[in-house]
Amino acid sequence: MKDILEAIRDRAKKKGVSFMDARFVENESTSISLQDGKADKVSSGKSAGIGVRVISSGAWGFATTNETALKSAEDCLDQAISMADASAEKGRVVEVAKVSPVIDAVKAKFEIDPRSVPFKEKVDKVVMFESEARKVAPEKISNTIAGYGDIWQREVICNTYGTLVENEYVRTHTYIMVVTKEGALRQRASEHDAIVGGFELIRRIEPENFSVKAAKRAVALLSAKRAPSGMFPVLLHPDIVGLFTHEAIGHNAEADGVMAGVSILEGRVGQKVASELVTIVDDATIEGMWGSYKYDSEGVPGRRRVLVENGVLKGFMHSLETAAKFNAEPNGSARAQNFNNRPIVRMSNTNIQPGKQPYAELLKSIDNGVMLTKGLGGYVNPNKGQFTFSAGEGWMIRKGELAEHIRDVNMSGILLETLQKIDGVSKEYDPDTLKGGMCGKGGQGMFVGAGGPYVRVKELMIGGQE
Amino acid sequence: MENLVEIAEYGCEVAKKEGAEFVDVGVHSGMGMSVDVERGAVKHGDTAVSSGVSVRAFIKGGMGFTGASSLKKEDVRGAALKAAALAKVAQPDPDFVSLPEPSGSYPVVEKLWDDNIRGVSAGKLVGYLRRSIEEVKSVRGDAIINGGAGLGHSESAIANSLGIRASIKGSSIRMSTSVTFKEGDDVGTYFDFDNSRLLPDFNPSGIGVNAAKMALKFLGARHIQGGVMPVVFGPLSGLSIFRVICWNANAEDIQRNRSYLIGKKGAQIASDIVTVVDDPLIPAGMGSGPFDGEGFPHSRLTVIEKGVLKTWLHNSYTANKGKEKNTGNSTRGGTSITNTVVSLGTKTEKELISEIKDGLYVAVGSIFPNPQSGDISETVDWGFKIENGEIAYPVKNVMIGMHMLEFMKNIDAISSDFREEPGAIMPSVRVRDVRVAGGK
Repeated sequence: MKDILEAIRDRAKKKGVSFMDARFVENESTSISLQDGKADKVSSGKSAGIGVRVISSGAWGFATTNETALKSAEDCLDQAISMADASAEKGRVVEVAKVSPVIDAVKAKFEIDPRSVPFKEKVDKVVMFESEARKVAPEKISNTIAGYGDIWQREVICNTYGTLVENEYVRTHTYIMVVTKEGALRQRASEHDAIVGGFELIRRIEPENFSVKAAKRAVALLSAKRAPSGMFPVLLHPDIVGLFTHEAIGHNAEADGVMAGVSILEGRVGQKVASELVTIVDDATIEGMWGSYKYDSEGVPGRRRVLVENGVLKGFMHSLETAAKFNAEPNGSARAQNFNNRPIVRMSNTNIQPGKQPYAELLKSIDNGVMLTKGLGGYVNPNKGQFTFSAGEGWMIRKGELAEHIRDVNMSGILLETLQKIDGVSKEYDPDTLKGGMCGKGGQGMFVGAGGPYVRVKELMIGGQE
Repeated sequence: MENLVEIAEYGCEVAKKEGAEFVDVGVHSGMGMSVDVERGAVKHGDTAVSSGVSVRAFIKGGMGFTGASSLKKEDVRGAALKAAALAKVAQPDPDFVSLPEPSGSYPVVEKLWDDNIRGVSAGKLVGYLRRSIEEVKSVRGDAIINGGAGLGHSESAIANSLGIRASIKGSSIRMSTSVTFKEGDDVGTYFDFDNSRLLPDFNPSGIGVNAAKMALKFLGARHIQGGVMPVVFGPLSGLSIFRVICWNANAEDIQRNRSYLIGKKGAQIASDIVTVVDDPLIPAGMGSGPFDGEGFPHSRLTVIEKGVLKTWLHNSYTANKGKEKNTGNSTRGGTSITNTVVSLGTKTEKELISEIKDGLYVAVGSIFPNPQSGDISETVDWGFKIENGEIAYPVKNVMIGMHMLEFMKNIDAISSDFREEPGAIMPSVRVRDVRVAGGK
């Protein structure tokens, strides 16, 4: 495949394009879905193809093919050039940052190759996780969904700078959702675990810390109260602070959004955007983390990127294009889901760094507030800086102590207001609470991680029902 | 093999020979093109071909599922063999009875395909976008404009081991424009769009002006006092309420004992002004087609009639399991809604607003209750305060929270006027006594 990509690169140079990269991506995945004790769907998928991107006539062109022959790749290049030429605008010239060529091959790391594990063993493991969960309260558990998935991916990147990088990864994950009922009331709780690695993940999971935990939480939620409605002091558990960081700050610090004029952080580098307690890092280099990688989809090494330091916005996550636009150093943040997607700026593992206060002290300081945990998902409207994220459960805090258990609820805030209102950051810290996280920006599913300490926010909007 | 039905048929034969008791194979092949605008200028042009095959093989009800992006004979064969092999390790499911039998004929659904869309060039898409950019600038020159235009055409086919053979061609063309105005820290933003199955129906003229005018209206958003108040959901919001509750009425969630609608069939779940039909037969509708994902014929389905929940949405598995009629809502992996049609009321949106002294208007946004508990907890991303019968000012950091069934019963008006999109009549909806959280 490398020879085809290099032939395309040479052809692109001859045609005089300003820049070209060609990516070959192939995937093999398996998944098992189990409901109510039965493995009701056992799946596998395969895809392969080439995506060619050029800058010609000052504009980007991109074309893809799921044929992997030289002729198809050449046609693809020609289509990309004609799409770029059709998109040319007077006065606009797209540029990419000049980088030194990288030639490297990254091999997947794992202890047990999931492709070598028989399907039956995978099914048996998921069945065991699920049956242990059911034992917690058979009379109250009305539905369970458990699943397993692994994906092997190889991406070869070749560009006109001379870069030729091969990225190979294996990722493995598992999840369980338990639904409980009492009368007409139904509640749910879920757990998941994931690594950049192989089947060793599944072999070392103890049901007590996984499926049984989800079942116990789902049972406990039957006695939880509806969440309140309004502004409250909020203590975010590390289990949800990663999601908060991803939605509230991370997306706004992606330089493609800044370049398009749709980030509230545009023009604020060097300014104080958060309380001085807040330092936020996006780090692609943490070994084995779900959002980690050595090279991005442009063949640029992934890095540790300090986004906010002691409350001051230090910079953004960049692609080659945004780095050129902002005169910044490329930091390896452009990733593509597959061959038929353009690389776009993505987070890797995004964390609020630990502070100095003990958790107990943060809790004690709240007279009437809410502690939220178990992030479920969220979204952000970056140009307004308004974000929303969901907690799977929480507790009321009364006179410095955890009080009534509350059900799932969404929260909302305005980024620049909320970051200034962070008035406590614990020293207790979990860098990976968003295990197996997927971000759907631009319609491309991408592996991301996130985490952090306990974070106290002076006030946050809670959208409960009471 | 070029004929998609033949490819699907071949996949069925291979999996059947390998021991599968039931098989269905879906095949698609298509092409898409898009051009994007960034910050007021065209910047990207993309084109992509796509194709794929997916095979479901069943042995004693246990399902093996495979997908591949190639339609080459050896790859289709590989996918079929693998699906049959996986079905052998899936556990038996006694609730599986059969895939659908051939029905004889399919309804005719018109205007799903326009060959002329294949002839639309990238240059023509660029032309649409440039006109939209000019429209926005005519409203105010300092707008930040993003957006895109695109088209697609595809053919898909389904075959199963009981003899179903069906194929369909579809086309679409679309454009959207997003506008942002910044005045210091104050941001006003909005978008508008047009999409169509057929080229003559595509008329993106005016969306730039509308997006710009609305974006200006969202400057100066304020925090508001929370409370219990009436809320009007505008055309880009109201229909989604009914789409969500139809989606929640999928039989899978009911049979799996995980839905707040369990026990509600035949019960009053909404106010009596609410009648909702799932209609896949609307000509040129974006959700239209003659058959569902399993090749079962589509038909109109009344889901809610005068507030009473009339049916669950079924695929062949859930229909057989529940011993009910298949409603043709399969996606070959679950169930889905198609086009949602709601009965209109007698008053205009303006009249509905005029009757409110203190309330909220939601311009864009959906309600997504927790599918198990039915609890709603949503942010209002584009909303206005209503005061003394009129839209007063934009709001920020506002949330809505209540139970979905309470919410549905509190619907007290559906407007007579509406926005129309292919397959969708989109009226405004008024709900009384909604719990609104505000930050003031």
